[in-house]
Amino acid sequence: MSTALITIIGIIAFAVLAPVLGCLLAGLDRIITAKMQGRVGPPLLQPYYDVRKLIEKDNVSVNSTEGVYITCALVFTIIAGGIFFSGGNFLLCVFVITLSALFFIMAAYSTRSPYAELGAHREIVQVMAYEPMVLFLCVGFYLATGSFNTSSVFYMNQPILFATWGFFIGLVFVLTIKLRKSPFDLSYSHHAHQELVKGITTEMSGKTLAKVEVMHWCENVLFLGWCGIFFVTGNWVSLIVAVLVCVVLYLFEIFIDNNFARVKWQVMLKSAWAVALVAGVINTLVLIML
Amino acid sequence: MELIGFLICFPLIVALLLFVINNNVARKIITIVGGIVIGVASCVLCVTYLGTSGVYFNISSEILDGIAITIDLAITAVVIGFGLKYKNVLALVLAAIQLVLTLVFAFGGVTEGVEVQQGLYVDSLSVLMTFIIGVIGSGICIYALGYMDDHHEHHTDIKDRRSFFFGIMFLFLSAMFLIVFANNMDWLFTAWEVTTLCSFLLIGYDQTEIAIANSFRQIIMNMVGGIAFAVALIYCAAFLGTLSLNQFIAIGQFYSGLVLVPLVCLSLAGMTKAAQMPFHSWLLGAMVAPTPTSALLHSSTMVKAGVFLLVKLAPLYAASFVASTMVILVGGVTFCLCSFLAISQTNAKRVLAYSTIANLGLIVACAGIGTAEAVWAACFLIMFHAAAKSLLFLCVGTAEHHIGSRDIEDMDLLFERMPKLARFMMLGIMVMFIAPFGMLIAKWGVLVSILYASLPNIIFLALLAFGSAATFMFWAKWLGKLSGIAGTQKDIEWACHPSEWFAQGIMVVLCVLGCVLMPLVSDAVVCPYLYSTFGTYGAAISSDNLWIAAICSVFIIVVLFGALNKGTKAKKVDIYLSGVSVDNAERMFRNSLTGSTEATARNWYMDNWFGESRLTMPGNVVSTAIIVLGFAMAILGMFGFVL
Repeated sequence: MSTALITIIGIIAFAVLAPVLGCLLAGLDRIITAKMQGRVGPPLLQPYYDVRKLIEKDNVSVNSTEGVYITCALVFTIIAGGIFFSGGNFLLCVFVITLSALFFIMAAYSTRSPYAELGAHREIVQVMAYEPMVLFLCVGFYLATGSFNTSSVFYMNQPILFATWGFFIGLVFVLTIKLRKSPFDLSYSHHAHQELVKGITTEMSGKTLAKVEVMHWCENVLFLGWCGIFFVTGNWVSLIVAVLVCVVLYLFEIFIDNNFARVKWQVMLKSAWAVALVAGVINTLVLIML
Repeated sequence: MELIGFLICFPLIVALLLFVINNNVARKIITIVGGIVIGVASCVLCVTYLGTSGVYFNISSEILDGIAITIDLAITAVVIGFGLKYKNVLALVLAAIQLVLTLVFAFGGVTEGVEVQQGLYVDSLSVLMTFIIGVIGSGICIYALGYMDDHHEHHTDIKDRRSFFFGIMFLFLSAMFLIVFANNMDWLFTAWEVTTLCSFLLIGYDQTEIAIANSFRQIIMNMVGGIAFAVALIYCAAFLGTLSLNQFIAIGQFYSGLVLVPLVCLSLAGMTKAAQMPFHSWLLGAMVAPTPTSALLHSSTMVKAGVFLLVKLAPLYAASFVASTMVILVGGVTFCLCSFLAISQTNAKRVLAYSTIANLGLIVACAGIGTAEAVWAACFLIMFHAAAKSLLFLCVGTAEHHIGSRDIEDMDLLFERMPKLARFMMLGIMVMFIAPFGMLIAKWGVLVSILYASLPNIIFLALLAFGSAATFMFWAKWLGKLSGIAGTQKDIEWACHPSEWFAQGIMVVLCVLGCVLMPLVSDAVVCPYLYSTFGTYGAAISSDNLWIAAICSVFIIVVLFGALNKGTKAKKVDIYLSGVSVDNAERMFRNSLTGSTEATARNWYMDNWFGESRLTMPGNVVSTAIIVLGFAMAILGMFGFVL
């Protein structure tokens, strides 16, 4: 089967499955968060009910471009996910997800609302903070497997984690930024009371906001996939291990989210770059020189 | 062969006509006809030599060599003349050194018995460059027609020397063609110096104090490179016995120690012309010139001559650790720091300048890596940078004449004030920095090409990673500024000149075609060059992935020009202003003293982090140190100390 066909099937599969998985993950997130805060919490499917309600809302918008940008952002998130999970090129996946982030930012800018613009500025800084580590991640993946194709892990005898521990640590660090969890949820937060109104999504409503939610679910699945791939080998048992690791990591992120106050952007940028530099460069040196 | 002669000579004739005729209507006709003829001839040459593995032409004559030397001497004489007129000692000293070197070269007996049989050549890299120079370069000349009308209308105090201006522009094109076709390094050097002089004259066009100061900054820095070039020429003639670029590269691939000194000299020449740190300030200073000058210098001429030479020498870097390390590190440091510096700039032209310098750094580093994959990436960086950067300069120039500012903050709401122009600009910006468009795909190629064991590569990798992150920041915030929509804006772009729309249209078409047809360009132009130079096809990115990128590009271009702001069924509502708005369309809210305040947001420029006062100095020190070290090792190597 040609690569193009596999990629297309991957994209369709991701478009169907990722929202379901992401939705369940978000529901789980809310229940666990509630438990940590001593509340009962909503039912598991609450995120789904929320989005369904958003879709039923009136179609209102501050301009006619915002919705187009958000649709593009969603489409490119799904393409990125499809590329990754169908064994495609890791770097291409990273580039496409960055493109999706750009459309999200432009949607906020296009409203020219003070709150949304503030969110957009912060989102740009967030991208700048995690981008070096993500590039290092791809390089590390290549150095460990000899290919940028994610499918190449299936030919490995042992998890690439053993060779790329530094990249993994760096990824887990920037994962908090990518998942928009506290202390790095500068541009928009799930906890409404903490944010300057709603940051980057302030002007989004109805179907547009529903698309943002679905996009966020898909992103979460994709980013956990990036973490999981460190554990996958040619052995099918490794897939179960990888899924378990993803669950543990997500629980860890929820724990951090609930226990740390938001930091200023300076701290985020400095720490993310420092981690990328130390973890990325040391691991690259070890891989190349040894 | 005739076609090459035509491309070199025809712009000269146009230039002469433009120098002589000082009538605005006649000038317009000559420029448009000349520009179109050059563009068409370039395309014909590209089609004729498509996929060529290199054709060399036997052409050598003492008369031509004599003319070359005469031009060299004339150039130093002109510089000395200007140096005396404006009392610039440094320029005088450098011109004197260059004069001595030229005289030594011409009459010192070093060239005795050295004859270059094959004076001219065409290979696939020349084909690519010809297309860029012929189509983009002449497009910019046509753009300048409308622009210079406005320029003199806006600045009545500036002396109208348009016939001079347009003449120099075409002279520039002629010299650029010679650079990409000359196999005789003596002729190459002459054309090299002509481009230096042309940009000196263009930068100083307005004859204001700052224009003159910056034009001298340009000539001084580039004469350092020119002197290095002359030293390399003398060394080649005296010790290697050849002045053929082809032979020089062939010798260097097998005896890298022999060519180390001329190689580092030529590297220095290339890096000064390509405005690498610590020489980057001349390109920033060149921003005082009228915008077509900046567009020409940045996209298709001058700086591209610098990187062209370095890319041409790539096989030698692959064989020489010292020269390769020097070039990779200077390019890498320049890329990273200039991307940081671009964050701190509010002036659109300065952002473009820093981005140009950064991207040139990337190309320089690719040349330094010297593998087939790296050269693949370098070729695409050159191509997309030329198209996108000229588009952006032309757009900024037009915007400046209609909104009265080149500050990015003043480009607020341009999306509806100048709808077509804003979309052109957005396309140009996207092509510059985001996948699936060309520059980023080329950058992907860079990343692929450095993944093998070598310490300079790891340092470059780190510089690349952090520089790329900064690239996202400064482009994304500009893009965001352009996309804002508020209130009902008056469309002010009806007053733009047709010649400006024509030139911008060409650049847009080139950007779009370049992104969509990238896999084909790779197969038809870039890979043949790699095969003839390295013996492998070595495309850095598989064509499957290139096609995925091409499809995504089409999708975004359709959205940008077709779907945005077409009106939806959605009910229009006002934005949220905490319930205290006075006039929502104008973003006015009621302040704590019950007066009205407009809600405004400026982009982040992070001057404390990425400002010039913080980064320029360290960058200059580090890059100077690298170059000095490189030269020291090359000279030690000459006396038998090999590291």
